[in-house]
Amino acid sequence: MSIRDQVAIVGIGCTEFSKDSGVSTLTLGTQAILAALDDAGVPPADLDGLATFRVGDSVLPAILAQALGIRDLKYYVDQFGGGSVSHSIIGQAALAVHAGIADHVVCYRALNARSEFRMGGTGRPLVDAVETQYQAPYGYFTPPQQFAMAARAHMERYGTTEAQFGQIAVTQRAHAVDNERALMREPIGLDDYFASRWIVEPFRLLDCCLETDAAVAILVTSTERARDLKQTPILISGASWGSGRTLYSNEQPDLTRTAAADMAPRLFEMAHVSPSDIDVAQIYDCFSYSVLVQLEDYGFCKKGEGGPFIESGATALGGSLPTNTHGGFLSEGYVHGLNHIYEAVSQLRGAAGPRQVEGAEVALSTAQAGYVSGNTSALVLRRDA
Amino acid sequence: MSESLDESRAFLPFAPIPDRDSQPYWDALARGEFRLQRCSDCKALRWPARALCNRCRSFEQAWEEVDANARIVSWVRTHQVFAPALHDAVPYRVVQVALDAQSDLLLIGGWLSSRSPRAGEHVGVQIVEGLEGYHFPCWKPFDG
Repeated sequence: MSIRDQVAIVGIGCTEFSKDSGVSTLTLGTQAILAALDDAGVPPADLDGLATFRVGDSVLPAILAQALGIRDLKYYVDQFGGGSVSHSIIGQAALAVHAGIADHVVCYRALNARSEFRMGGTGRPLVDAVETQYQAPYGYFTPPQQFAMAARAHMERYGTTEAQFGQIAVTQRAHAVDNERALMREPIGLDDYFASRWIVEPFRLLDCCLETDAAVAILVTSTERARDLKQTPILISGASWGSGRTLYSNEQPDLTRTAAADMAPRLFEMAHVSPSDIDVAQIYDCFSYSVLVQLEDYGFCKKGEGGPFIESGATALGGSLPTNTHGGFLSEGYVHGLNHIYEAVSQLRGAAGPRQVEGAEVALSTAQAGYVSGNTSALVLRRDA
Repeated sequence: MSESLDESRAFLPFAPIPDRDSQPYWDALARGEFRLQRCSDCKALRWPARALCNRCRSFEQAWEEVDANARIVSWVRTHQVFAPALHDAVPYRVVQVALDAQSDLLLIGGWLSSRSPRAGEHVGVQIVEGLEGYHFPCWKPFDG
């Protein structure tokens, strides 16, 4: 029994995106959640579920529930993980709502990822992952290094170029120009890309996402209740998540193919859509390359042709698959996946202002594709008819 | 940023934190031996070290000395100082290799040459001492 279209996103909220919020992740979380409730027209007293994911970098959901004055939380998820699990918490919330465990669940991510806790930049490697011991001793322990390794393999195998990575950054920056939330709104060209300093070859600074202080909250409830609320319901048509593989697994020794390639068919099947039905895509862009490989693995182009697909202009506003229309993590900011869902919902409501994709009815939003963490997740969202 | 480090030498800024599965791996390296677990039932090599074979789900295994020559899968060259220990060491290269002994086993390692690796290139292993007496497999091209 599918839950396709049975649960809807009814409210979205976010804080300012900044390099230094000056406040706690508890405060950020409460601000974004209250904004999402207000957006939906749901009174805070009706909130009975909280779902988040974190890597030891944010406040406990129970603390947030107390801060919001929720006395009887009926459902919670406190998922360990970074962006790869980001979309799974929406799927889990949808299951809970559909099963009647809770009525209104807010999914949120609150972090001071620039001013307090930088991913991989804490000065020493994490010790709780089995594989770290075999890698960190070589000075290899951060996401830019791990994704650069896969990007290099893709370049060697398929002839993917630095200019194609650069075009991702340039296209997304052009999208961010019209986004008042975005941290980086100055247009850039490929010359700026090539002039930006090396972080980890083959990645330059402009291949990398913006570590950000912010919170985003996404409120879900049943489609039936959603139709009595303020906003056009955005239906959860497909929600999939799954175990991928790490970059070192004998189950998948090809670095150029991600777990999303295995998951995508069942996601589209659940939603009763194919890639050609997707009007707008928000694709996890912790690094430029992660957009390119997912365009292939979700079936928008053939394997190995992600670079030419991007150079064709397909992913730009006005192209066949406008992608990361808010600027993405490269230009808007990095809230570990939830700001992609925020933008997807805005687009499907027809509320994306100058960035609006005309007639957008179906959106794909994806999580980190499964490198490093061994997990991935994604959503297909549809505007209620 | 300093470019003073000789990139033909391995850069080994941290000691590992072994676990109960991996201790024999590190102990063997300290003796100059590259050993992996081989499944006693299906004969597959296991990586990373762990009790259960993910091919046949056997717990039976033995640590066996393995040829660690390999082929280059990919590489990166780090410029960003991600931790204080990387100061004065950047840029440095790290490679990912597929072992000749079982080509679906991918390992991260140091690169012992001043030139860039090439994809698919056959490379030889050298076990290099790092911090706290730990030893690490690193790879180098056969043409120097």
